[in-house]
Amino acid sequence: MTAASPRRGDALHDRLTVLAEELTALGERPAGPCPDPVNAPMIRNWTQALGDHDARWAETAPPAMIQVWSMPGLNRDKPGTIADRILALLNESGFTGVVATNCEQTYDRYLRHGEELRSTMRFGGLTGPKRTGLGEGYFVTWHQTWYAEGERVAEMMFRVLKFRPRAAGGPPAKGRRARPAIGPDTRFFWDGLRDGELRVQRCAECGRLRHPPGPMCPECHATKREHVTVSGRGTLHSYVVHHHPPVPGFDPPFVVALVDLEEGVRMVGDLLGCPPDQVRIGMPVEAVLQKIDDDLVLPQWRPAGSAPKPPPAQGAEPAAQGAESVAQGTEPAKAAAELAALSVDLTPTFVISTALATRDFTPVHHDTALARAQGSTDIFLNILTTMGLVQRYVLERLPGAVLEGVSVRLGVPAYAGDTLTLTGRALDDRTVEVRGAVSLGDHAIATVRLKG
Amino acid sequence: MSISGTAAIAGIGATEFSKESGRSELQLAAEACIDALKDAGLTPADVDGLVTFTADASTEIAVARELGVPGLSFFSRVDYGGGAACGTVAHAAMAIATGLAETVVCYRAFNERSGRRFGRAAARSEHAAGTADLEFSWHLPYGFATPAAWVAMYARRYMHEYGATSEDFGRVAVAMRRHAATNPNAWFHERPITLEDHQASRWVVEPLHLLDCCQESDGGVAIVVTSAERARDLPHPPAVIGAAAQGSGPGQMMMFSYYEGDLTTLPAMGRVGETLWRQAGLGPADVQAAILYDHFTPFVLVQLEELGFCGRGEAKDFVADGGIEVDGRLPVNPNGGQLGEAYIHGMNGIAEAVRQIRGTSVNQVPGVANVLVTAGTGVPTSGLILTRP
Repeated sequence: MTAASPRRGDALHDRLTVLAEELTALGERPAGPCPDPVNAPMIRNWTQALGDHDARWAETAPPAMIQVWSMPGLNRDKPGTIADRILALLNESGFTGVVATNCEQTYDRYLRHGEELRSTMRFGGLTGPKRTGLGEGYFVTWHQTWYAEGERVAEMMFRVLKFRPRAAGGPPAKGRRARPAIGPDTRFFWDGLRDGELRVQRCAECGRLRHPPGPMCPECHATKREHVTVSGRGTLHSYVVHHHPPVPGFDPPFVVALVDLEEGVRMVGDLLGCPPDQVRIGMPVEAVLQKIDDDLVLPQWRPAGSAPKPPPAQGAEPAAQGAESVAQGTEPAKAAAELAALSVDLTPTFVISTALATRDFTPVHHDTALARAQGSTDIFLNILTTMGLVQRYVLERLPGAVLEGVSVRLGVPAYAGDTLTLTGRALDDRTVEVRGAVSLGDHAIATVRLKG
Repeated sequence: MSISGTAAIAGIGATEFSKESGRSELQLAAEACIDALKDAGLTPADVDGLVTFTADASTEIAVARELGVPGLSFFSRVDYGGGAACGTVAHAAMAIATGLAETVVCYRAFNERSGRRFGRAAARSEHAAGTADLEFSWHLPYGFATPAAWVAMYARRYMHEYGATSEDFGRVAVAMRRHAATNPNAWFHERPITLEDHQASRWVVEPLHLLDCCQESDGGVAIVVTSAERARDLPHPPAVIGAAAQGSGPGQMMMFSYYEGDLTTLPAMGRVGETLWRQAGLGPADVQAAILYDHFTPFVLVQLEELGFCGRGEAKDFVADGGIEVDGRLPVNPNGGQLGEAYIHGMNGIAEAVRQIRGTSVNQVPGVANVLVTAGTGVPTSGLILTRP
């Protein structure tokens, strides 16, 4: 992103600047109440929803739960944030889009069951206008601090981008993505995708590869078939950018690609993670298997090299919890730095139960129809859960470690039906870098600080 | 035995072309058929064959009931969307040449704008797994769901291979709208466009602008085919069927032939062209006008190459400087085509070819002896050469 042209004399920019100064001058102000003390039932709901089985949470609260204690719940008159006036002014001025970009939490200490909390907020600043991938916008930052009996126990920085949505090809179409008809001659392909394989039919007699598949080899007329699992590497043969008319389940503009696979067959799919104006015929692409729901996985494409590191084979995962934990340094240094991956199936139940367990009742996290009406593909994971999953991942991989803070840079949404794959790398004894990837790209890039 | 010269088009008929006909598709079909029979100087009692598209909603027997045709000796349907257009006449000519029928009416009628619009995203049941359903299944789940998108995939590759530009496509649209502007039956009568209008029109599916796409229309067209001998005794000079052909290519699919060979070609049309030239004993230099299927501009360029009017990659030069306008190198679609007159699945183009042979078109090309007509592109297709007797 780059800074937009100077706004000297821009009335809106001047009003925003004045308002930002006013909010800054307010300093630290009491925020809404923390209605319940730190308590076992809410912690149990949270740990069950997030699948976090750390035994320490019988005595203390998971640190990433900090924001949960001050969430207003399902409350129509819920108190807002200290930035609400500036957010409203941006809204009225056409910067109607909002997306959270950063969340940084610092934990002074873990909380004990029974502690009563209060929190404060202070305005953290306004920067912009900036040109971003979503459109021109302002970054708005605020801070929240939690206290127990006058002692500071945690702090959070939260930043959102309020943007002016770029003109799109009309509202997203209602309804869901078309599903394939599957017959006896094509079932192996779709089954393979659910097993994580991109399969291409091969004639069992003459070895000819063929896609789309069919029952008889046009070369030697054998009906005996097998398949190969292809590399998923290829180059772009042609592509289109769809603007109009609306297509159910899609948000235009989107790119559809025709790919020459290195094995010599062609395949059609969506090109993800590449702005339309950067698509070029001949560019190297790689397959990404996108989980649509429990029954359907689609082969999609993205620019080669843009994928997060592939997760290690499944067998590697339990090893991290065993006696030879990677944290104990029994492996060679380089290997020891890599943490085994954790894949989380983002079923609708997971997305909804974690949203409610974090006391986040925003409808986009539980109401599919409403999420789609607002332009999302589906309901999606809330940020409090992303923070919690980063905590869970690091503490599962590094048992005994104590969290000092988590800084997350947020990327693409993690939609229901997708899989969130967390991978990590210990940079040193006290710093772990975590990447949470979904089929659309990076959902979160986190830096986790551990107490020494 | 050759089909060449055995049958002729004796009558053409149509409804008005609109965006909302306000009546049933069957009524449009019946009105177009009656209009064509009157034009031929015949009555429904003379009709013993009916042919339409597989895609048509009105069966041959339903149309026969409305017309009061006493009985049919021949009925047939031609598949693959707009690729069927000239195929209906080919089937009629075959029936006449082989003695199955004497007078066959070919028709196509739909409310394609006020009813089901072809330009909208296609939807198909996931529970039907016929071969066509399976073909669509490799594409629809990716939002690759409209004819414009399917053609755009070919067009992008064509641009890449030959350096053609959006403006080259635009010149086709400009030519069609120039022709339509002087055709009172055209939807875009008196509404020509400039290349700047084309470039400024919004994206539909890049690289196609809105003005690269044909209209969506309501209407019906019918064509009366009878023996060349009988046609000589009817009111209008016959448009003799000098050649008729159908064609598909290797790895052919409905609009999705992306998986084998070269995306810058239309092998189905190449096959149709070879058959037509051979049957008629003619070549590209022998036709004075062409009706080239123009649902989307890029395929007009590819057709010029497939049919031998110019070499591979040279169509952008062929269409430059008004090359396909009514006073150009090869007048294409003097009625305004489907971009300008109406989208009646290619059947209105056959009617225009007949008018060019008769010498009665509003945009008459002088000295027409032979006209080439093509049907849908990207699909299995068909073609005709109509000849002045």
